[in-house]
Amino acid sequence: MGSSISKIPIRLLFIFEILSLSLIFMYRWDNLDFNTFATGIGLILLVYFSNSVLRRISSGDHYIFLIVSMMFSIGLIMIFRISSDLGVKQLLWLLIGIGVFFLSYFTIKKIDVWDKMITLYLGVAYGLFAMTFILGSRLRGAINWVNIGGVSFQPAEVTKIALIFFLAAYYFNLEKYSKNKYSEWIVMGIVYSYIGLLFLQRDLGTALIFFGIYTGLQYIYCSGRRYELANLSLAVLGGTLGYVLFDHVKVRVTTWINPWPYINDKGYQITQSLFAIAEGSYFGTGLGRGNPAFIPLSYNDFIFSSISEEMGVFTGIGIIMLFVLLVYRGFKIALLQNHKFYRIVALGISLMFGLQAFIIIGGAIKVIPLTGLTLPFISYGGSSIVSSFLALGILQGASEKVVKEDEYNE
Amino acid sequence: MFDILSVIFKYVFVIIIYLFIFTIIRMIYLDIKTIGSTTGDLKAYLKVLNPLDSIPYKMEDTYVLEDELTVGRSSDNSIVIRDPYVSKHHLKISLDESNYFIEDLKSSNGTMLNGNKLEDVSLLKTGDIIKAGDIELMFIHKG
Amino acid sequence: MNRESKRIITLFISLCAGFILLIGYLSYFQIFKAEAIRDNQYNKRLWIDEEQVLRGSIIDRDGEVLVYSQEKNSQVERIYKYDYLYSHIIGYSTREYGKSGLEKNFNSYLINANRNTAINEVINLINPVGVGNNLELTIQNDLQKKSRELLKGKKGSIIAMDPKTGEILSMISLPDFNVNTLKDNWGEISEDTNSPLINRGIQGLYTPGSTFKMVTALSSLKYHEDENIYNCEGTLEVDGYIFKDFNSTGHGSIGLKEAFSKSCNTYFASLSLELGHDRVKEMAESLFFNRRIPFDLDTSISRFPEREVGKTDVAASGIGQGRIVASPLNMLLITSAIANDGEMMKPYIVQRVISPQGRDVEVFGNEVLGNISSQVDISLMQEMMKDVINNGTGNNARIRNVQVAGKTGTAENASGKNHAWFVGFAPYDDPKVAVVVILEEEGSSGGSSAAPIARDIMIYALNNIKFRR
Repeated sequence: MGSSISKIPIRLLFIFEILSLSLIFMYRWDNLDFNTFATGIGLILLVYFSNSVLRRISSGDHYIFLIVSMMFSIGLIMIFRISSDLGVKQLLWLLIGIGVFFLSYFTIKKIDVWDKMITLYLGVAYGLFAMTFILGSRLRGAINWVNIGGVSFQPAEVTKIALIFFLAAYYFNLEKYSKNKYSEWIVMGIVYSYIGLLFLQRDLGTALIFFGIYTGLQYIYCSGRRYELANLSLAVLGGTLGYVLFDHVKVRVTTWINPWPYINDKGYQITQSLFAIAEGSYFGTGLGRGNPAFIPLSYNDFIFSSISEEMGVFTGIGIIMLFVLLVYRGFKIALLQNHKFYRIVALGISLMFGLQAFIIIGGAIKVIPLTGLTLPFISYGGSSIVSSFLALGILQGASEKVVKEDEYNE
Repeated sequence: MFDILSVIFKYVFVIIIYLFIFTIIRMIYLDIKTIGSTTGDLKAYLKVLNPLDSIPYKMEDTYVLEDELTVGRSSDNSIVIRDPYVSKHHLKISLDESNYFIEDLKSSNGTMLNGNKLEDVSLLKTGDIIKAGDIELMFIHKG
Repeated sequence: MNRESKRIITLFISLCAGFILLIGYLSYFQIFKAEAIRDNQYNKRLWIDEEQVLRGSIIDRDGEVLVYSQEKNSQVERIYKYDYLYSHIIGYSTREYGKSGLEKNFNSYLINANRNTAINEVINLINPVGVGNNLELTIQNDLQKKSRELLKGKKGSIIAMDPKTGEILSMISLPDFNVNTLKDNWGEISEDTNSPLINRGIQGLYTPGSTFKMVTALSSLKYHEDENIYNCEGTLEVDGYIFKDFNSTGHGSIGLKEAFSKSCNTYFASLSLELGHDRVKEMAESLFFNRRIPFDLDTSISRFPEREVGKTDVAASGIGQGRIVASPLNMLLITSAIANDGEMMKPYIVQRVISPQGRDVEVFGNEVLGNISSQVDISLMQEMMKDVINNGTGNNARIRNVQVAGKTGTAENASGKNHAWFVGFAPYDDPKVAVVVILEEEGSSGGSSAAPIARDIMIYALNNIKFRR
């Protein structure tokens, strides 16, 4: 039988899943219940069906979903090992997430007015902010969770996508908007109003992502040095002001420079993360043989450290490489896309994935100050998984040629 | 027992994850190479994805597409594949108003397009993977 | 390519650079920093590992067991055979108050935590560790006991070492504490103003007084400032400050050798002025001032002033006063190097790590830290130090039939009474033992109080120790 290269990755993925699941089953042998078992089987079926369905219906990119499948498999197995309850829940979220993925993929393909709804994106963003402030509850120092009908979610996860669409709609219709001399300043003002609101919510990580997406897209699409300079000076000014005004910003910087004197209080999280990564060494302790339970938020913000402890820094580096590949495919999709609006959306989403991974991994290994964020597709959490798949669906849609009026092309 | 397995598996996991990454890189690389290398005159062509030294019979690296092209085991085809699973006249690719279409010539083992069995005449797009027998061909069209 | 595509690619490259930074830092972290972080006392994983391991024993140079662990009612128990004797060397290992001494610095050996290599891991899996490695010290238990007896009732430290190998034969610091009742008395011990937790021998920093004249003399020999004859009148005025000899009577016309053996302050103060701050500092720094001495236990760094702040200060430096502070170990190291013909050996206290099966896991020792001076200068120094014992301030250290060499010191101490110092070695022709004695705020001279203690230590060591060579 000839084995075609295009089937190798999915086979590797299956081998990985089967081996790691059998190990988890052994680990939980004494209290192996039906749910645990079903989750394992569920994961394999989920990966198999979603990949083969996608292959059938999408003529676009074949890589991104595969890369993401590997990511969420690693994540689910780690979460499953930490707590089988959370593992079952995470699988449910993945199911919903993949549903949302297909939904957003079809919606983006079928509806063609995305570039004309700039006010909607603005409204959604401010609406979500308002909702957060009114209904939000404070969790771990940040007010960024909203609880509706027993389901809590982070509105900022959706706001990120609204921001990308807003910027795409703006730069797509740049000629129209630039009749107003101040349009670029207004956009900058809007973006910074988001960032300011996030600062108030103490959601520093998301604020950084917003800033990164804006700066990246502005660099590509805005011709005018002074705008870029203004953006950078605003960032420096805002950062300094934030450091001086907000204690929570100061704490992040102090514990980044040297967390060891504060090992029992404000430096606890980061030092526990470093202990885990150090303990894991190159290949890890082996699944079920480490102590990820010592890390706070081991299945969430610090899942990278948990994975590094039990599966080794090599797996950690593997995850970083998967993100590089995902971002690369996203940028490639943008370069191949000849409709400017979808090009910008693809870029924005790829930037978002890349930045978010960089910020939380960098924080967990103390390359940059720690800010609470989830690792897309890997961390536990409904809002994070669903919104990441929503964005991925849009990216998948953007990877297909959108045949439109040629007037916009160059 | 669990400990021993866990320790053995951790190496296996790292190997699998890296193999996964490198296969994807290789696929992407093949993609870029086919798109990037033969710029210039070639407008449309097929690229053989199997490593040439792994094929027990002679094949070219790329085949330029003109108006019409046939693939099969017999020597009167434009692309000859001496594979027992390939029919004498296996499939046909033809040009119609600047678009290429693929059609299976009722071959006994069928033609796969992007992993799906080809049933009807289909429009080819850049990056599509055609499979006949063990041979995989990538379709590239610079419009 | 148009501007947009170019910029898209630039943006992608900068993102990649960020990810490469992450990978680079992770690798750097794993290669260079992980081990230290893993061994941090606050890493809870260590306790998990440790609770499953029977911590290794620690034995003295003759095989006498000092500390061991045993299992009792499926609980691991650490038995310290001596309450006080090794409180600074071996230290303690508690969950509540962390670790100290060798229990801390050799922890990964004691619990056999070589989790780094794949081979070790497989070995551990097949044959679960359970038992840690043992440590064999260079300390001799009887000499250690003798040292503590001699120091009893005083504050200070005694260290004895073999100058030719760097083996630490005994090391006592008083006041000390009872390791077996540590948990009950922790508050008392940690708040005691006499700081019993400090190992004065290696962490205490004292004004070295006249013992520092060894350094000044070495510097003057190196720069050939040693031929001067000086008329000592008992006092010397430098910029309004008056330097006095110990008895202020004056030694008359005097050369380097006599000035050294009589410990003439006015001679060395003016010698230091002639040499200048930089030359004395250069010599001091080559002898581990302002540098950390590599050692099995945590040491403090001896200080020589970085910058010159006036002539009084330079003159004071020459006689070991002013802003100089030295650890007793540092002064011992200098003495040993002189005894060992200029070759300074790295001091060490753990000579072997032995696996539970009795195999050598690691063997330490015989590392040379450097050559401190020329042969000619060293022979002169040795003679001068012999003269201190035979015709000078150190005659209380004299031993019948054995030639001793050394130097006394009586350090003025701004905060209280004088510190009494003695450094020395014996036998003169074939040095086997070097000793430092420091009596903190003793109030008497080094020659009268420290030298006799050093003498007893040397006699005991020469009679009882099986030297390795």
